[in-house]
Amino acid sequence: MKKLLNNWLIQVLLFLSLLGLTAYGSQIINDITSPYVLTIGLFIGINLIMALGLNLITGVTGQLSLGHAAFMSIGAYASAIATVNYHLPFLVGVLIGGLIACFFGIIIGFPTLRLTGDYLAIATLGFAEIVRVQFTNMKITNGAIGFLGIEGSTTFPIVMTIAVQTICAMVWLENSRNGRAMLAIREDEVASSAVGINTTLYKIQAFAIGAFCAGVGGALFAHTTTFIQPTDFGFQKSVDILSIIVLGGLGSIPGTIIGAIVLTAAPEILRPLANYRMIVYGLLLVVIMIFRPYGLMGGVNLRQAVRRAMMFPKKKQAGREE
Amino acid sequence: MSLLTLDNVTIRFGGLTAVDTVNLEIKQGEILALIGPNGAGKSTVFNLITSIYKPTEGTISLAGKPLVGIPTHKIAEMGVTRTFQTIRLFSELSVLDNVKIGAHCRGKAGLFQAFTRLPGMKREEAEIEEKAIKALKFLDLETKCEEMAKNLSYGEQRRLEIARALVSKPKLLLLDEPAAGMNPQEKVVLMEMIRRIRDTGITIFLVEHDMKLVMGISERIAVLDYGKLIAEGTPLEVRSNNAVIEAYLGSGKFKSRIRR
Repeated sequence: MKKLLNNWLIQVLLFLSLLGLTAYGSQIINDITSPYVLTIGLFIGINLIMALGLNLITGVTGQLSLGHAAFMSIGAYASAIATVNYHLPFLVGVLIGGLIACFFGIIIGFPTLRLTGDYLAIATLGFAEIVRVQFTNMKITNGAIGFLGIEGSTTFPIVMTIAVQTICAMVWLENSRNGRAMLAIREDEVASSAVGINTTLYKIQAFAIGAFCAGVGGALFAHTTTFIQPTDFGFQKSVDILSIIVLGGLGSIPGTIIGAIVLTAAPEILRPLANYRMIVYGLLLVVIMIFRPYGLMGGVNLRQAVRRAMMFPKKKQAGREE
Repeated sequence: MSLLTLDNVTIRFGGLTAVDTVNLEIKQGEILALIGPNGAGKSTVFNLITSIYKPTEGTISLAGKPLVGIPTHKIAEMGVTRTFQTIRLFSELSVLDNVKIGAHCRGKAGLFQAFTRLPGMKREEAEIEEKAIKALKFLDLETKCEEMAKNLSYGEQRRLEIARALVSKPKLLLLDEPAAGMNPQEKVVLMEMIRRIRDTGITIFLVEHDMKLVMGISERIAVLDYGKLIAEGTPLEVRSNNAVIEAYLGSGKFKSRIRR
């Protein structure tokens, strides 16, 4: 059984059937749930895709970035221009959004990744502001008025399928030579280069992949709201995504998933509280961070926990035999 | 045959000459110790060899190939790995992962392999894991595989650092004060381990303050004082060298107190 599961072809088939199942399942959910709930689900998916990207940059590689909304806006505008001005199909537009964001991730990576910690955070923050101001003043983006008339092509099944793909890609990456190198950079840069890790290369890789995810998320966002303006992608948005990964637990993929669900759904669930909604929301964040200072899933190694849970009964049996 | 050659190496930080025209040869397969009072520039020599610093003057070469100007991360690939004076482990990762990362420079898989997970990549992963476990066994840490590195005891952390440096099969291993903070028993075990590592064909260059260890295992000793190489030779020669005694114990009125 284990040998069979290790076969590459079988794994590809498993992956494809997982995607098929996701698409099919979410299509059913799509048909039976109310549009309101569905929209929340959509935004959970979009936030999840972007947060997974930031998790790779900040959680795994340890590079604090406050400019994730910039990559999101690049993806959103690029895809909107591609589908509206150039009449390209929706999914091609999403891909273009991701690739252009990725390109900018690399460009911005070279000069800024020589910085570390707080200094890098400020540099990325500055980059995000430049991008926002640039979009406000460009003709093709329709400036501050906002970009109108984007088709609302994003559907729940599409978002869910892409989200599942992103999750799989991140899990694979984390369990590869590249992922280990990124984790090592987070832990200790000097030691990393002493064992032969090209720290700049892997930081840029992380930034590029993270920016790609943000671009895809932005493109899906643009095609959900059908209208985007530069203020959608301000500092607040970067902080929102950052809080998802911090609340979930930096570097933890299950944590990011939970964080995206909690932080996207909470404002909607708290809606009956009317004026007190955001106060309670803020309180919720504070309380979670007090009780789980490393995030909801911080310091929880899921694989180890499952293995332990599976080992435990066996040990008990062995004890009985004695 | 000399493996590593330092030729007239000098580095100045502003007005301070930390390492001053040092000429040193490390022979293939030997255990060489570098000693000297605090601040003599011993760790700086290590940082020069691993290209963390660039010498102001002079050249360093490994088996004929120059090391000056080569980025730090390429040094490991060329066959020089090191441990640090203050332990630098990937503390939030498992012991096994720490050692696997040590094998990074011997791997080839890139992003494409990470995302496609083709059989070739899995074979490489299995190989890396096998190597890592072998290195852990060598340093008597295999039972701690799943443990997080920060939860190990001090001596175990020191050994893990050595395992991480060993897994990539270096030609030259630089040990920066490996015995610091160890108790006498652990030091004895460490001496035995260093000898065993040398017996696998790896040349060892260590900086150490613990004289018992240095005198016990090194075949040659070089002494550094204020950045200058003041003596070089077998433990016996170095022990009776006047310049060395002066550097450690001072001269003048203190000299008269030394019993001969």
